[in-house]
Amino acid sequence: MPVVLFISVALIAACGLIYELVAGTLASYLLGDSVFQFSTVIGSYLFAMGVGSYLSRYVTRGLVARFISIELLVGMVGGFSSAALFLAFAYTQGFRLILYVVVAVIGVLVGLEIPLLMRILKSRLQFRELVAHVLTFDYLGALAASLLFPILLVPKLGMVRSALLFGIVNAGVALWSTFLFRDQLGGRSLLRAACVAVLALLSTGMAASEKITQAADNSLYADEVIFSRNTRYQRIVLTKWKDDVRLFLSSHLQFSSRDEYRYHEALVHPGLAAIPGARRVLVLGGGDGLAVREILKYPDVQSITLVDLDPEMTRLFSTHPYLVTLNQRSLTNARVHIMNSDAFPWLQQTEDVYDFVVVDFPDPTNYSLGKLYTTAFYRLLARHLSVQGLAVVQSTSPLFARQSYWCIVETLKHAGFKTHPYHLYVPSFGEWGFVLAGLYPYDPPVSVPGGLRYLSAALVPQLFQFPVDMLPVDAEPNRLNNQVLVRYYEHDWREITH
Amino acid sequence: MNGSRRQFLSAALVGLSRKTDRPIAGGFMNDGHNSGHQLRDRRSFSAAKHAVKIPVVIVGGGIAGLSAAWRLNKRGFRDFTLLEMAEHAGGNARWGENEISTYPWAAHYVPVPGKKAALVRELFEELGVLCNGVWEERYLCFSPQERLYLHGRWQEGIEPVTAATARDCEDFTRFAARINEFRATGQFTIPMELGAKASQLDRISIAEWLKQERFTSPYLHWYVNYACRDDYGALSADTSAWAGVHYFASREPDEKGPLTWPEGNGWITRRLLERLSPHVRTGAMVHRIARQGRKLRVFAGETEYIADFVIFAAPSFLAPHLSEGLPSVGGLSYSPWLTANLTLERLPGDAGVEPAWDNVIFDSPALGYVVATHQSLRTHIERSVWTFYWALARGSPAANRGMLLDKDWHYWKDAILADLERAHPDIRQCVSRIDILRLGHAMARPVPGFLESDERRRLIAGSGNLWFANADLSGFSIFEEAQYRGVQVAERALRALSR
Repeated sequence: MPVVLFISVALIAACGLIYELVAGTLASYLLGDSVFQFSTVIGSYLFAMGVGSYLSRYVTRGLVARFISIELLVGMVGGFSSAALFLAFAYTQGFRLILYVVVAVIGVLVGLEIPLLMRILKSRLQFRELVAHVLTFDYLGALAASLLFPILLVPKLGMVRSALLFGIVNAGVALWSTFLFRDQLGGRSLLRAACVAVLALLSTGMAASEKITQAADNSLYADEVIFSRNTRYQRIVLTKWKDDVRLFLSSHLQFSSRDEYRYHEALVHPGLAAIPGARRVLVLGGGDGLAVREILKYPDVQSITLVDLDPEMTRLFSTHPYLVTLNQRSLTNARVHIMNSDAFPWLQQTEDVYDFVVVDFPDPTNYSLGKLYTTAFYRLLARHLSVQGLAVVQSTSPLFARQSYWCIVETLKHAGFKTHPYHLYVPSFGEWGFVLAGLYPYDPPVSVPGGLRYLSAALVPQLFQFPVDMLPVDAEPNRLNNQVLVRYYEHDWREITH
Repeated sequence: MNGSRRQFLSAALVGLSRKTDRPIAGGFMNDGHNSGHQLRDRRSFSAAKHAVKIPVVIVGGGIAGLSAAWRLNKRGFRDFTLLEMAEHAGGNARWGENEISTYPWAAHYVPVPGKKAALVRELFEELGVLCNGVWEERYLCFSPQERLYLHGRWQEGIEPVTAATARDCEDFTRFAARINEFRATGQFTIPMELGAKASQLDRISIAEWLKQERFTSPYLHWYVNYACRDDYGALSADTSAWAGVHYFASREPDEKGPLTWPEGNGWITRRLLERLSPHVRTGAMVHRIARQGRKLRVFAGETEYIADFVIFAAPSFLAPHLSEGLPSVGGLSYSPWLTANLTLERLPGDAGVEPAWDNVIFDSPALGYVVATHQSLRTHIERSVWTFYWALARGSPAANRGMLLDKDWHYWKDAILADLERAHPDIRQCVSRIDILRLGHAMARPVPGFLESDERRRLIAGSGNLWFANADLSGFSIFEEAQYRGVQVAERALRALSR
């Protein structure tokens, strides 16, 4: 009999320590500064345990029933603590407050456990024996938990499930206690029912932990997440901080509403304004409709074909109230035709020829995207450009990814284009680069559409000037069978971030 | 920065994911064992119902036979028929297709041909693969080309570099230098016939040669052994050192290739068939060739072809089963192979560099897999087809052929998945179908002594007006050799016909 009791002491102790570790780890991860987080979490947890132990003196009657209720409470609060903290971080501004409240509540409840248990057991053992054994098993449980947590629980189960699992252990001890102390306990069936209910809740939590994880993923973004969806192709996230709305595709920033006009005006007008009488325009990528918004400023343009892989993306930017304000309902304009297709095969199957093509793909972060920056792709592009036509290519940063930028220029040259590289400063991106590509020399436009916020005709020629630290560097052309661009890009950004 | 944060999150949060294996469909492909064994057992075949007189009959619709036909056709000679036993031509360049992609059933690439391989260049110019001296980018294997699973991670390239010691690197460098010396001799050409001379190298195996040359790196030994298994279906200990050196020394060191297509060399088969299909009879198994005066009577199904010349492009070992008085080919050795096409509903996870075209697992008994969708121009690929290659090289070819036929589909399916599982733990959750092709005599094995062997000499000479054209005349089965042999014999037939 006593051994069984002491095992439950060890289990309770293990649970208590796990919750403490979960809180400390989460705080360090989400807030940084692990020394500070662990010190304050452990400190407040121990202090709360002291408070709990003190409060135990006020529990006088129905010790066993109280003990079991406390176990159930610890199981619930502790079990869901990790999930609650992740969600608190993702969806509220008050993560710190919630963290310490959770730590304090668990601490107080855990602080109550051991004194109550010792009083329950005092009639069964000598005091000397009791203290020695209870404390021995208490510390043994703590040791086991401290080893299990980093070695097994975090890597295999993850934090949300680890906490839930130990919540189940707590509730299990509670249920077990209704049998162990049945002679000291009245109203057993009600307590047992409560135990079963708590166990069921925690188990449901285990099963739903995947969903909790997904929801908590939002915590990756610094600002409030106003929209997030996993599509077949990517994860679309919109964040908002004051009047700044940002779009992230699979964690890569696409635009900030504060300065996207700089990017999109510079993307479209230097090229399109220089082609008198351009009628047909193609946009590859750019499902946000912001480049299309700029193109629609040309009344001569009769048709704009937008090819974006992800239907969710174009749907979002056709319907979301804030986003349609931003792109001025460009995607629902009658002149715009949306194709949800993979750009390379799409271009291969079409016969159409365009006067202006906007190539606005994500940066070449992997070999799949790298295909869209190859001589093979640009040669195909050339076949779909009218004689006087121009293409403009989003080409990463000539400052942060200098070799990547000039590699794209080199690749366009190898595909038979005359290239006209230019760049500008976009605060949320830094220095950013584009390349105009055509079959003839390029003359900057004499005028640009009215009402632009960044670009003027006088400014355009200046964009083609490169300061010394962005001047051309040697780069091989990017081909399907060498994919040097992806390697350059990886190298360039590694230099910056390390 | 973002990456590591995300990785931490997913590791810490997700923990164990749900694991349910997919039910896997599939079976053996019709691999011609039955019809082949009918020949071996000299079963009786029904008598011919009609006779066709035709000057040239080509037996076998693999690359050798198709190349012979290509040459005849190109020279304006149309009086020939090609007889193929299987329902589809192609031989080792056959291919398949499902709703995801086309895919190869055997050979899946051609190295970018050097200047000596004039015929290969001629064909590729005709097919638009080589245009004004520039190789069409879409047909060059996309980067990344190869990767190797070694010490729990995928590394770039097949030469093992993960945890390579200075000693290993030194051996690889010295090996490359030795190969350069061999290349400089001009003896290791493609086609081999143009450069091959009697050589001491042919007396020993490439494994022995490595020992003689004091190469000790286990990585180098693995690498050479892998190359022999991959190209010849034989262990390095069973491969002539001449053939082993040829594998490395015949290729241009700065080659940009290889050339490949989703359906592998099936793409070339398709292009050839587009030009030649009026001459090709599939499902036409030749069961007897008999001499009658100066003519040859070729029996296939219910038709008898009365020909002036027969180009025997099927594997040469079959010939004695069809006709009396043909040269003995008992000394020829062939490797049994197994290829499997796996349909993947999603791509499995893996550690290390991104998936490549050719993916090899270090120390595996099999050869790894090739990804059919690698040459796709799409950026987003959810489902794929992998072609898994396995040359049964350990032990005797005869015993391995026995095993190939004895074991059922479930055995091979599990063996394939167990092999892949080492590098892709969740592979069983991704694969929905495995089709398996068993090739008892997949390719000629260049064992020591093959170069000077009497069999090879007799086959090259041919027998009267029956000439052999299979790649096994070269001692090893690669595209370029098959094409060369086919074209050579076609030229011979044209010369004889013009007399």
